[in-house]
Amino acid sequence: MDTAIVIENLSKKYKNNRGIGDINLKVGRGEIFGLLGPNGSGKTTAMKIMVGLMKADAGDVIISGFSVLTAYEQAMKNVGCMIEKIVPFPYLTAYENMRLRSRFYNSLDDKQIDKTLDITGLLKYRNEKIKNYSLGMKQRLGIAMAFLSNPNILILDEPFNGLDVEGMFQMRKLITNLSKDKDTTFFISSHLIHDIELICDKVGILYDGRLLAVKDTKDILRDYSSLENYYLSEVDVNGAS
Amino acid sequence: MELLKAAYKNEIMKILNRKKPVILMALSVVFVLGAMSGVYLLNSFSGIRVTGSSEFSIMVLSILIYSLFPLFTIFICVDMFAGEFADQTIKITLTSPASRLKVFLSKILAAATLILGNLYFVMIISAISSAIINRNFPNLLRIFASYTMAFMPIFVFALVIALISIISKGTTSAFMISIFIFLLLNGLSLVFPNIRSFLFTSNFDWYRLVLGSYINFSKILRVLLILLGYSIMLTAGGCYLFERKDI
Repeated sequence: MDTAIVIENLSKKYKNNRGIGDINLKVGRGEIFGLLGPNGSGKTTAMKIMVGLMKADAGDVIISGFSVLTAYEQAMKNVGCMIEKIVPFPYLTAYENMRLRSRFYNSLDDKQIDKTLDITGLLKYRNEKIKNYSLGMKQRLGIAMAFLSNPNILILDEPFNGLDVEGMFQMRKLITNLSKDKDTTFFISSHLIHDIELICDKVGILYDGRLLAVKDTKDILRDYSSLENYYLSEVDVNGAS
Repeated sequence: MELLKAAYKNEIMKILNRKKPVILMALSVVFVLGAMSGVYLLNSFSGIRVTGSSEFSIMVLSILIYSLFPLFTIFICVDMFAGEFADQTIKITLTSPASRLKVFLSKILAAATLILGNLYFVMIISAISSAIINRNFPNLLRIFASYTMAFMPIFVFALVIALISIISKGTTSAFMISIFIFLLLNGLSLVFPNIRSFLFTSNFDWYRLVLGSYINFSKILRVLLILLGYSIMLTAGGCYLFERKDI
């Protein structure tokens, strides 16, 4: 399988000594990779470094063969992302916020914006200012912005946060369909084990800034009764070391 | 280049959708109209000739360059940098395919466009007002040269604010520090006249070099080079800090 994302010896330490240390990982093209871990385990830090929001102390991230450190524009050309909660410009409408992203891609027109807003259920609120949006609607807009350019790779940090049951179901369906039909690669972080179990092909466990294990979901479910049991077992065995 | 253009258009769109720059531009209009009324009343009824045909626009410039223009610049740059860092909206821009260098340059170019736009906007209103007061057309070339020259020191100040906004932790601190630095540099040039030529704030009135009957081109070139030097150093410093800023 072709490799979409390579993480090499990635380390970042904050002043409080938390952060991530020496993470190595490969994600194949078309794969849905889930990064599981408790709050504060370093998931967001790793993802921020992956998309260039943060600089690593050491290591590199290679996306589609390009380093985010030395060839950021090529690396991010076909990447869509949503890191932590999305904060759209409150004084702009949903359409104007989408335009902020679409301008970077020559091929994107208003039709594509409307299509993406329609998929995320925001088309009827297209011309409403974001300051009037609910938390869930902002989350949907963040997802729409990430999906807008039809990227080959999507990096989504806690994409299910703030979504209602229907929204979570639609989101899961969208992710699995895109992976199956368009070979889109997903790198998803979540602390919601159930959602990760339902959609991810491969799961990595990040605990206290260390990547404890990476395993195929089908192998996990063959050896354990659920992903939750596997997670607890890994944390119990390797988490303290 | 395409990415820089896209980022620049985005910055312009964001600023134009904010209320503060529009309010400040409206304040400029109010000031010019108020000054015009005052000068007209003095010229017509008291017999005191306050300004000549070109002088009204220059008088407006000489007042606004130390008040509304720096304030306009502070609002734009603080919103553009510290404001977006503080409310995290900058993430939308920074996760685009444009590099941080291009994002920084697009912001600086957008700020420069708005500063120049505001200067020319005031110039046009004041020139029209001047024609109304004096009932003849002012020396437009001289006014245009003055307002264009006034752009340079304000642009350097914009770069200083950008730098402060990247370092500072919030919009209020960035705003207060910017005002403090503006006042401090102006105060320093008054207290220590020998360091005056090194401070960009003392060149806020360098447009006066084209107003006299003799134009000292070598002095204009010297000041221009000092301001360009400031611009290059501050752009490089701003770029470096913007690149390294963790979100």
